[in-house]
Amino acid sequence: MEAKRVETVSGRVDAAVSSPDSVEDELELSTVRHRPEGLQQLEAQTRFSRKELQILYRGFKNECPSGVVNEETFKDIYSQFFPQGDASTYAHFLFNAFDTDHNGSDFVMGLSILLRGTVQEKLNWAFNLYDINKDGYITKEEMLDIMKAIYDMMGKCTYPVLREETPRQHVEVFFQKMDKNKDGVVTIDEFIDCCQNDENIMRSMQLFESVL
Amino acid sequence: MAAGVAAWLPFARAAAIGWMPVASTPMPIPPQEKRKAQDGLIILNVSGTKFQTWRNTLERYPDTLLGSTERDFFFHEETNEYFFDRDPDIFRHILNFYRTGKLHYPRQECISAYDEELAFFGIIPEIIGDCCYEEYKDRRRENAERLQDDEDTDMNNDVTPVNLTFREYLWRAFENPHSSTLALVFYYVTGFFIAISVMANVVETVPCGFLPNRSKEVSCGERYALAFFCLDTACVMIFTVEYLLRLIAAPSRYKFMKSVMSVIDVVAIMPYYIGLVMTDNDQLSGAFVTLRVFRVFRIFKFSRHSAGLRILGYTLKSCASELGFLLFSLTMAIIIFATVMFYAEKGSPASKFTSIPAAFWYTIVTMTTLGYGDMVPKTIVGKVFGSICSLSGVLVIALPVPVIVSNFSRIYHQSQRAEKRRAQRKTRLARIRAAKIRGTNAYMRYKQNGLLIDTLEEASKEAGQALVAKPPSPPFESQHHHLLHCLEKTTNHEFVDEQTFQANCMEISAMHKSGSRSSSLSSSPHGLSSCCSRRHRKKSSFSLPSTNNQELSTIQIRERPVVNSRSSLNAKLDETVPLKCNEPFITPSMVSLSAPVVTSSDGDGSTTATTTAYSQSNIVRVSAL
Repeated sequence: MEAKRVETVSGRVDAAVSSPDSVEDELELSTVRHRPEGLQQLEAQTRFSRKELQILYRGFKNECPSGVVNEETFKDIYSQFFPQGDASTYAHFLFNAFDTDHNGSDFVMGLSILLRGTVQEKLNWAFNLYDINKDGYITKEEMLDIMKAIYDMMGKCTYPVLREETPRQHVEVFFQKMDKNKDGVVTIDEFIDCCQNDENIMRSMQLFESVL
Repeated sequence: MAAGVAAWLPFARAAAIGWMPVASTPMPIPPQEKRKAQDGLIILNVSGTKFQTWRNTLERYPDTLLGSTERDFFFHEETNEYFFDRDPDIFRHILNFYRTGKLHYPRQECISAYDEELAFFGIIPEIIGDCCYEEYKDRRRENAERLQDDEDTDMNNDVTPVNLTFREYLWRAFENPHSSTLALVFYYVTGFFIAISVMANVVETVPCGFLPNRSKEVSCGERYALAFFCLDTACVMIFTVEYLLRLIAAPSRYKFMKSVMSVIDVVAIMPYYIGLVMTDNDQLSGAFVTLRVFRVFRIFKFSRHSAGLRILGYTLKSCASELGFLLFSLTMAIIIFATVMFYAEKGSPASKFTSIPAAFWYTIVTMTTLGYGDMVPKTIVGKVFGSICSLSGVLVIALPVPVIVSNFSRIYHQSQRAEKRRAQRKTRLARIRAAKIRGTNAYMRYKQNGLLIDTLEEASKEAGQALVAKPPSPPFESQHHHLLHCLEKTTNHEFVDEQTFQANCMEISAMHKSGSRSSSLSSSPHGLSSCCSRRHRKKSSFSLPSTNNQELSTIQIRERPVVNSRSSLNAKLDETVPLKCNEPFITPSMVSLSAPVVTSSDGDGSTTATTTAYSQSNIVRVSAL
């Protein structure tokens, strides 16, 4: 029953999306609220327990009653968590990393990977985050964008004082470490290899395993 | 920090995973969450109305009555619920606050009843959401005024720390005398001199007694000519200086010169200069004397000092059409009646109505109901028309006046409302800023309390010790602080609060200016100066030389609490020195680290002392590298 309901809902959404011109479709689109897949399905697909899913969804729906998370919401959330700086750029990259098929919904899957996945999966996801244009290579420019976004979140009032070339230097360090064949880009294999050899990174990746 | 955002904590954790491959140091351990009690439903019985909610919802705000153990006092064993003998209608809003994180104010409730409920449940009214906050504040203010309670509503003076050029600063000082003490002093001085000048003009013409060689009374101006001249000179000096300064500071000089106030300024001081030029020429001295009448325009300079005067002027300007109508209708009536009176009185002998323009004077005096009596009609026809004239005068003048008055009242209230809106915006921005600072300060305090747990060993030690001394932080807050700590580790920079940051930056630029550079800074002097110049361009509330002493004292005060974290940073840097890839980070941070350490040890050292001590310590640091 749940699957059928989900199908009809997604059917309507698809119809609305495919013909955006007519007014009726617009109306339908505006009234359709996102319904998640059934609890049992999610339990099967993700690594969260039933209770955890309930808590997650309840908290999420409380904050976002329409059930739709768009980029604006993302930016808002991160600006509340990191008020000293400007988290909007990083939020933008994160949103693109979560929302791979652009249907605006499957954050639970992403969260399941990030919080309960293997280290390999997490590294995969991190690579996906850094690779802005999703071409399989991290270039220095992409890394610089990400690095600047991270440093933007720190804001201005830091110790020691943030300088203009700090992100760039950090990118250089990163590339020195990761780029084994020195071809100027980092592929997924180089990335995963290097991270698995680095003790600090491995330890950090396992950090959030015990908590929700 | 709204604990409703706790629901987004998993997303923020996802962000942290994105930093990990980039960070060069390991992330700190997250705080251990105590095993949560089974999340159950709580029944709240408020005067018979039952409310139910999750226990976790209430515990989001542990410093309120419902979120802390204080609610146990209200537990009712027989019915296994919490009973409160309070107003259920207002309780609905309080419970919604726990649910949504936003406190709303119901417009139909009495403000004092609402305040009482908030106080009972331990909720501070300042967290009322923006949607209801203005209404709440308005009602509160009305209430206070009604009870004749003098609330302490001191609006802070505008201390926007914007970096202005000297010209902009000057202009702002002129336009807004409350922006700085110097501006206020200048404002009062000019006001004083305007008053003095006007009074001198007036007193100058008062008869002052007899001079020995003159038969008639002499005015004070002639008797004490030198004194008055000196006074006049002084006033004109002040006014000239003021005018020139305003001209220099004006953002658009052409617009300034066209403005009314500047014309008044010029007209006020011109007679003096013209008089200086023309003293030797006897024929034009008569004209010069009449020019002195323009000195009375100085009284209009008071309009800068008085908002009411400005409003009056603005009203007259905006009522131009009504005034025009008044003038036009009066002119029509004057011409009509003057003509009629002239022809009516033409026959009368020795009549004063010699021409129609001469009759204008009679008509005006009669229509405004003045009635001097120097010109009166003598014929019967003249008297008839004279009475018609006075009656119609009352009507013609009375009609446009209420329009003008209502215009004035509208403009006055508008300016009042604009002031109120401006004040509310300032409070609103201040609240947002305070919330931000509160968040930052919470994190700073958290750090200083040494609650940061970096390594596994420390974590196990902490778990073993009894955490009696440390104040308990709410679980979500500790998770949030952990995330901020992760960010700090990733970027190898620490969060500091604004004062420390500005103190550091100012100190660095002061050191930079003093010129005692060592070679280790050669790699990054440009970086440091660019950081400070960037900051100066963006915002700075002080100019370096004047506030040096003040900043030094703040450095000392700030040093004590921060020393702990700095020394821990120091320790970390020593550990990470062997790692090759960290070298680029170490050099600049070490350089800036040594400076404040020196000042704290100095006590109240002067800049030069810190400079020399700095260079010594700098050398020490370099060799340690």
